[in-house]
Formats: sequence, C-alpha cells, structure tokens
Amino acid sequence: MESGYLALVLNAHLPFVRRPDYPRFLEERWLFEALSESYLPLLRLFRRLDADLVPFRLTLAVSPTLEAMLGDKLLGERYLSYLDTQLALAAAEEARVGSDPAFGKLARLYSALYREDREDFAERYAGDVLGALDYYYKRGRVELITSGATHAFLPLYRDLPEAVSAQVETAIVSHRRAFGKHPAGFWMPQLGWYPGLGDILKSYNVQYTVAGTRGALLGLPVPERGSFAPVQSPSGLAVFIRDAGATTAVWSDTEGYPGDPVYRDFYRDIGFDLDPAYLAPYLEEGGARTFTGFKYWSVTGRTADKLPYDPSAAAARAAEHAELFLSERRAAAAAAAGLMDRPPLMVCPYDAELFGHWWFEGPAWLEALFRRAAEDPSLRLLSLGEYLKLYPESQTSEPEFSSWGDGGYGEAWLDGSNDWVYRHSAKAVERMSELAERFPEESGLRERILNQAAREVLLAMCSDWSLLMRAGRSSAFARAQVEDAISSFGRIYDMLCANTVSTEWLTRLEKRNNLFPDINYRIFRKKR
Amino acid sequence: MDARAALTSVLYLFQNVSVTSAKLASLSVEDLYLLADRMGLDLPVGLERPFVLEEILAVLEEDSEDRQASRGDALRVEEMKYSGSEPDTPFSEGEPPPSLERRYNETMIRALVRDPSWAFAYWDISDAERSSLGEEESEASLFLRVNELDGEESKKEFFDIPVSRDDLQWYINLPPSGSRYRIDLCSRRPGCRCRCLARSNVVEVPRQALSLGPGGLDARSRELLRLSGIEELRIEAPGELPNPQRILSESAEAAALDRP
Repeated sequence: MESGYLALVLNAHLPFVRRPDYPRFLEERWLFEALSESYLPLLRLFRRLDADLVPFRLTLAVSPTLEAMLGDKLLGERYLSYLDTQLALAAAEEARVGSDPAFGKLARLYSALYREDREDFAERYAGDVLGALDYYYKRGRVELITSGATHAFLPLYRDLPEAVSAQVETAIVSHRRAFGKHPAGFWMPQLGWYPGLGDILKSYNVQYTVAGTRGALLGLPVPERGSFAPVQSPSGLAVFIRDAGATTAVWSDTEGYPGDPVYRDFYRDIGFDLDPAYLAPYLEEGGARTFTGFKYWSVTGRTADKLPYDPSAAAARAAEHAELFLSERRAAAAAAAGLMDRPPLMVCPYDAELFGHWWFEGPAWLEALFRRAAEDPSLRLLSLGEYLKLYPESQTSEPEFSSWGDGGYGEAWLDGSNDWVYRHSAKAVERMSELAERFPEESGLRERILNQAAREVLLAMCSDWSLLMRAGRSSAFARAQVEDAISSFGRIYDMLCANTVSTEWLTRLEKRNNLFPDINYRIFRKKR
Repeated sequence: MDARAALTSVLYLFQNVSVTSAKLASLSVEDLYLLADRMGLDLPVGLERPFVLEEILAVLEEDSEDRQASRGDALRVEEMKYSGSEPDTPFSEGEPPPSLERRYNETMIRALVRDPSWAFAYWDISDAERSSLGEEESEASLFLRVNELDGEESKKEFFDIPVSRDDLQWYINLPPSGSRYRIDLCSRRPGCRCRCLARSNVVEVPRQALSLGPGGLDARSRELLRLSGIEELRIEAPGELPNPQRILSESAEAAALDRP
C-alpha cells in the first residue's frame, strides 16, 4: 500500500484577448508566449513520458477563455507569424553572439525552442493544441477540468447567483465542446470560494474542486484530517485542499525553487538591453521595449551583475529540486500517515504558465518529478478524479470564503484601483437577467443579440483585469477591457429597450468577441 | 532610444530589478521633469539634474516596495503571465477607453465583503430621490447604518458612518466577529426620524480563526492541522480587537428607522 498520494493540478488560463480589427496586437503576445514557453513544452514533456512508458498523472484545468483562443483560427495564424519573427530574431542572435562560448549556445537554444514550437504547432498538431491535450485526456494521463467562463472571482458575485451559474454553465458547455466530455472537476478562479458555492457546482454535476488551505481549514466543522484529505461540502461536492508545504516550495518568491541562482533570470531580457534599432524588426509597431523571450543570464542573486545562464547546470538543479520536492512530500506523508485512517493526500495546484514561461526550467522539473516518482511507488501520483474513485466519501465541512490571493481573501480583486468595476458588472448582470426574463423565447437576430449581450457580461466579470489594475501593469488596457464589455452590453441593452438593432455593429462585435459559440443567454434567467 | 521607450524600460526595470538609476540617468533633464510631472510630483522649476533624479527614484522605490510587499506569491506568478505587456507609465497612451456612466440613476446600495476586517459598499440615489431630499430640508444628512444581524433579519447592534451627498462608495471596517451585516443607506435631519433610502444585501464576514466547537479536536486532528500549516497561516488564536469605528447605539433608534 502507498504511504501517500500526490496530486499535481495545473491551471492553464489567460484572459480573452483577440483583436481582429488590428493587424497586430501587443496583448495577444500573452497567448503566444504561453504557447511557446509553457503549453507546447508541456505537451512535449507528455510525449516523452508517454514514449518511455512513465505512468504520469496530472489534473489540468483549461479555462474557457483559453479554450476559445486555442481554438481560434486567426490567433493560430498570428501565432505562426509570431514564431517566424522569433525565429528571425534567433537567427540574428546566432549571427550576433554565435561565436561567444557562453551566449552562442543560448542563442542556439532559443532557435531550437522556437523551431520545435513551430514544427509542433503547425505540423504535428496542425494548430489544434486542444486536440493534443484531448489525446492525453483520453489516454487517462491528464485529467482535464474546467474553470469559470471568464475567470470571474466568484465570491464577489455571491449575492448574484445567476451570475455565478452563468460562469459555471458556460464553462461546462465550453469544455464539452472542446473535449466532448462533461468535466468532473472545476477550478475555482483564483481559488475563490464562498460558503454555498458547492451547491451551484453540484447542481451542474461537478464532482470536485480545489480550495485554498486557509479557507478549507477554517471550514465548519474543522477538517479532521487537515489538508491531507478532501472534505465534502454540504451538497456533496468534494473540495480538495491545497498543500501549504508544496505551495511554498514552488511559489515562494524567497524560498521557492525558481529563485535558485543557477536558473534562468526572467527579467533580464535582450528586449531591454540591446539597441532598439537592432530590435525594431522583431518588436511590435512603435518599437516599445518589451520582453523578447531571449534571456541570457542566470538569477545569480540579488545583484545587477548577473552571470551567464548555464542550461546544463540548471537542468541538473531542476532534477535535484524534483528529488528534494519528492523527499519532502514523502516525509510529510510519513508524518501524517500514522495519524490517519487512509494514506495522506497532498494536492499541489499551480499556474500552468509558471512552468516554462516564468520558471524556464519548470517543465524539466516536472519531467524529473514524474520520472523519479515512477521509480519509487511509495508516494503515488494520481489525478483528483482517481483519488475520488478510491475514497468517494469524506468528512462533511463547508470551507470559509477564501482565495489564493494576498491575505487569503478578496483584497487583490477589491481595492481602490478596481472597486469601480463591480458597480458596472453587477448592473450588467442584473440587466442581463432582466432581458432574459423579458425575452425568454427569442430566435433569429434577437437571439443573436441577446447571446452577444451575455458574452459581454461574462467578459466584464473577468478577474484578471482587476488583478492587473491593482498590480499597476497594463491597467489602462485592463480598464479598457472592462469598459468596452460594459459599454457594448449597455448599447445592446438600449437597442433592445428601443427595439432597434444595428446589425452591422452587432456583426462586428460578434466577429471580435467570438468566444462561447454555444452560449445561451437564458443562463441568466433566475433559477426557480 | 526615444524618451518614451527609455522611460518604459526604466519603469519596468525598476519594478522588477534593482538597476534603475543608471537607466534614469540616461534621460535628459526635460524628460525627467516630464516624468516627474506625470508621476504627480510637484518639483520646483530649475532643479539640478541630480535632485530631480533623486526625487523620482525615491518615489519609484517607495511605490515598488509597496507593490512588492502587497503581493502574495500566487499573484506574483499570475502577473508574470502578462510579461509581454508593459507596466503603467506616465506615457501610457492608446485608444481612449469608452466612458461609462458613473451612476445609473437609481436608489440602491450593494455590499461586498473583502476580508474579515473590511466590507465595501457602493450606492446611488436617484435624481428624483435627491430632489426630494433637497426639498425636505437643506440640512438633511446621509449616513450608512451598519446593522449586525442576529438571525435572518433581526438586528443585534449597529453603528453609523456619516457620508456626504457626493460619496458613492465606502470601505467599512467591521468588528472581527464572523457576523452577518446589512447596510442601510439613510438620511436624517436634526431632531427627525431617520429614513432608510435603500437596504443592501446581507454580507457574511469570514472567520479568521479556527472554530473548534465545544468538543474541540482530538490530538490526532490537532497534529494533522499543525502539519497542514495552521501556525504559518496564523489562524489559531482568535483575539478580539477593539474597533474604533464601532459606535453602539440604542436599539430604540434602530427601531425608529423607516424602511424603504
């Protein structure tokens, strides 16, 4: 019998950014960078593990907005164009530093990375990254789950249950469209839980979710097994609990592995170091300095005098960190096992984009983790669904309102920088419900416009924009995203009240915000 | 490098690494003044370049420290997703965002819980209601009545927060009780009964310490909770804190409040 279980859970998510009305759009690069450095490298890692018959298990949430972007033809074409630019820059870099013993190999490393990305995306997967994920889903290696439709921070909509239901139902429909199956699990955006949310999730036949350690342990009654087993909400939803130790090991800015001196430094990028004239052909129009993805320095320490990055040393350290992670989890399992009536479970939820994009060696760490775990079955890796098959019953407890944000509650999404959002998003929800009640049986053009109204309301609820406003990064863009969605919804509302529709404007909006093609505006009707 | 690109670079680097003074030093004194102006710094005209630099660096450093200190590990990683974007700079530009209505001309109040200490309330008063307030008496004052609830509707205690007619939102410091609250938007004129203009949804303040119940936990569970990290989370001891904003009032006044 295993002495413990380990469940890795990744959340792959980006907010919806798609601007066909511009030839190129800076914020679309968020998707392209995540594809290049995280999603495609993760798929390559799955492929290698599969080829070597390593029985890896992973629970992976793919957010509906990411699904929409990964399935979009225009963004796929633009991604190829981005890769061509990156390859051109790689060629220029090889010419510039190719003969340098430290930097030449790094230029070749990036050249190989983008070449592989291009081959995988264009040829191996024919642009269908969702299909590639689905392959591992069907093979039982990766358990795909869904998340809120537009990653709304649900506790701030607690008093608007129709808004929460709309986020959940739209997500489930999106998942079924992408993968042909009902999702067993639901990743709560920002791990935002509030008492009662389980009732809504369970009503959509969701089996499980993951909550933050704080919120779960503050639950009523207190979880008797600590974070080493899930609890069941009063409605029967399994709520897995984030493992605090595993969290610190990877996430912590000070103690986490990614801060190791030999790993690649994220911030130091040639986009900020080299002559803008040299970089101009590879940057966005206007030539504003930005990250290029070409980074030649290691973390080194808290100094501006960085040492050149050494990929071999970093790969060796990633393997060491994987072993360290496993040995610490084994020790934690051993400490808890004697106190429990079942093997302890440690749930390790992370952002998927951490692996590769921010922590360049993250995929290597994951791969080493899977390979080493397979050699020592005392700590078994499993998906959350597999755990529930082994232990379908758990203690009933209602977790407390919580998140994985600063302070553990809602500070990150509700402060002076972003609180204005909620007056408008809540009003849009209220008006959308009113429209759905007034026009329950529409078809044709009126149904189209109501469906677009529903999309705009969901877009206005996106928690990423509030986060960016608070972080002071791209906050003008973030603010414009919310204002745009609210304004578009307002225009539709006014059109319906006045019984006039501008078909041309509607068509343009549908083409731009084309996510959730199966949306049904009636999801905003009040539940009876 | 043009000034905008240079400043973008400098601001980004400042927020993320410790190599900024050299980058700032590459800017002309005019650009530095422009930057200071956009940052809201009111610098005397004709300062020597080193002094302008020093002022800007001091503010940037403070801002950077505040932001770093206020972000948790999970959110730091979240933000890294957006690395292709630029940090906010005084030179941010682009399409002007479509303007939104500041209010919807209705009388309402909604409350949101942020954390165990703070709730956020926003409200509006319709133009018609505002007019009638004005007609009633020019001295009518507005306040929020924060009612602690005992059961579904009944009030245990309450405290009032005066607000002005221009206010449309307020952060409310709540007693650390794990209680439920409802917030009434009220008007009052001296010597008269209060009038409730709008009543919010009920909000529940989250616990910040374990609630063990009368039986407590057995030793095994206590040890499992310790292994789960309750000490690091600091959710063990409750500890009542005094709340300066709390003004206990007589229930008779609460009873005198007219409901909308």
